[in-house]
Amino acid sequence: MTDIDTVHPTDPFDPQAINTSEGLDPVDPRYTNVLRITTAMNLIPLAIGASVFDALLIRHLEGPYGLITGLAWLIAIFMIISFPARRMQRWGYKIGEGQLRVARGWLFRTDTIVPFVRVQHIDVGQGPVERWFGLSHLIVHTSGTHNSTVTLPGLPADLAAAMRETIRRHIQTDFA
Amino acid sequence: MSESPTADVAAPLPEPDWQRLHPATLALAIVKLGPRSLNFLPAVAALGFTGNWVYIVPAILLFILFSLVGAWLRWLRFRFLVGADEIVIESGVLSRQHRTIPFDRIQDVGIEQGLVARALGIAKVGFETGAGGAGKENDANLDAIGLDAAQALRTTIRAHRSAPVAVVPVATTEGEAAPVAAADEDKLLFAMGPRQLIIAGLFNFSLAALAVVGAGMQFFDNLLPFNIFDPRDWVDIAEDYGLDQWVVAHRWVAGIGGVVSLLLIGFASGVVTMIFANWGFRLTREPRSLRRTRGLTTRTDVAIPVRRVQAAILVTGWFRKRFGWHELRLQSLASDGEKEKDHQVVPFAQLADIDPVLAEIAIPRAAEDADWQHSHRIVALGGFVGAVGATIGGLTAVSFGQPLGWFGPLTGVLIGAGSLFGARFHRWIDLGDQVAIRRGMWKPKTTLLPHASVQSADLKTDFILRPLGLATLVFGVPGGSALASHEIPAIPRSVAEALRARILTAKARV
Repeated sequence: MTDIDTVHPTDPFDPQAINTSEGLDPVDPRYTNVLRITTAMNLIPLAIGASVFDALLIRHLEGPYGLITGLAWLIAIFMIISFPARRMQRWGYKIGEGQLRVARGWLFRTDTIVPFVRVQHIDVGQGPVERWFGLSHLIVHTSGTHNSTVTLPGLPADLAAAMRETIRRHIQTDFA
Repeated sequence: MSESPTADVAAPLPEPDWQRLHPATLALAIVKLGPRSLNFLPAVAALGFTGNWVYIVPAILLFILFSLVGAWLRWLRFRFLVGADEIVIESGVLSRQHRTIPFDRIQDVGIEQGLVARALGIAKVGFETGAGGAGKENDANLDAIGLDAAQALRTTIRAHRSAPVAVVPVATTEGEAAPVAAADEDKLLFAMGPRQLIIAGLFNFSLAALAVVGAGMQFFDNLLPFNIFDPRDWVDIAEDYGLDQWVVAHRWVAGIGGVVSLLLIGFASGVVTMIFANWGFRLTREPRSLRRTRGLTTRTDVAIPVRRVQAAILVTGWFRKRFGWHELRLQSLASDGEKEKDHQVVPFAQLADIDPVLAEIAIPRAAEDADWQHSHRIVALGGFVGAVGATIGGLTAVSFGQPLGWFGPLTGVLIGAGSLFGARFHRWIDLGDQVAIRRGMWKPKTTLLPHASVQSADLKTDFILRPLGLATLVFGVPGGSALASHEIPAIPRSVAEALRARILTAKARV
């Protein structure tokens, strides 16, 4: 209610508007490609399934053959092309001041802070698609029941390793 | 397999001092056969339906024989060893399992006795190791050993934990010396006598038992000549006995009789469940933990390490609140039995009796007249969506000619009004080193959450909260249910950010 100006991104067409307004770093733009490929791998089988269903059933029922196929492929292609870039822009992170901050989503935006001293252990993972683009994801485990894992995707592999080392050093200094 | 430190102690002996479960465990296995044989019913039914009646008795006998032999084999192959600073359990008939649990890692030793187990003088010992995630089956237990052996074992483990450097006495102690020494330090924090149990039971009024009775009546519908829930059957009976004229003349008598019997069932079930669960309730303070014993048929003995307590939860009801009765639960890393996530440490007491318990765990209660902050009224929105859904559904049913559909709009209005009214009960206050969150109108629930318990914090906004400049804070706290996370809904975003920054800079609890 008090400071709506800072809550709203100033320019909805500026891809970095959300992150800069909240003081977050963006994830690697190559993460768009990762999202695009994983979305495609999910949606194309669905679209193929819809086509088969269309060809096997609707045609024999003498229904509007082609409608489901066309719609399925249209939606799939639209989601593969347009959404990943936006989803990538909604991710943001900030590491420093003894804590890791990860923000994601826009319609339902969640902004998580994990102090380094609360971290139980850290994973750096890399899927086959991520490896293709030289990216990694960082998973931070806490002992909380809610947020027992916090994942930050779309990091260059060397940056993810560096972040892991940073957090690890903090865990050690806390218990020393 | 015997590379454990205990093997060094008992190195000269080829066979260390392995112990078996109490032989009476076999008797327990026979008792457990009763419920388990229900699984066998379909097979019996199948035999019956196919006309092979002669095989039924041999089949049942064979089943019993196999079960008993199985239980005996399991008993034979289960052994445990109490070492100087660890316990080793070997189990499994075909696939052997060898498990070593250091005393240091045992957070909690629970002793549980069912009705049969009490008659036999044996008890089930559960070791809570705090191993996260995989659930209860991950924790080791001894089911069952003699009660005195169980208490001696717990004393051994406690002694080890409270004096890590001291030399631990011989593990398989039968003596009573150690328990006496420990008992001196115990302080009774809370106990429930029969009178308080009955009062608590009366407030525990529930018609859930009626549903059970009703379901049972449905099940035995064909056995009884009439359905007690069907008024027409009552009329028939009354006619048979010439009562109908009298009842018609005094119809209000029947109405009052129905209400009175409903109330009676509700109160009686409340009192009975309360007495069964909490008979002989005692909460004592031990050097490191709170210890709770309770139960009429199934007696449980649970220790909750104080350092493991993450949050305190005060629950009351809209009616019992007027009389000052509250219930205290503690959220800990360990869970309380299979069903309950939080440990119920005070089932029913006045706040004056609860405060000493809270003092022991160093989580003071927030004052009632303190500066509580309210959540925004938008939290009622979820209820409104439900109300609209109920209304639409009901009206759809009405449009299809179903008069019962009018219940839809009616409940919709009730839900909407209720959520709007209930939204006023979302409150929170920051007390410096802990935050108190209160919610609920029917069942007001106050969570006292020390800042130091918070492992992570989410600041959530969505397309509804954002235009209003609001945010919801969700805390990651160890233990408790994954479904009931602690959150402060719909507070101004700047306030939420400041609160989150304050909470996350807190030092770990000591």
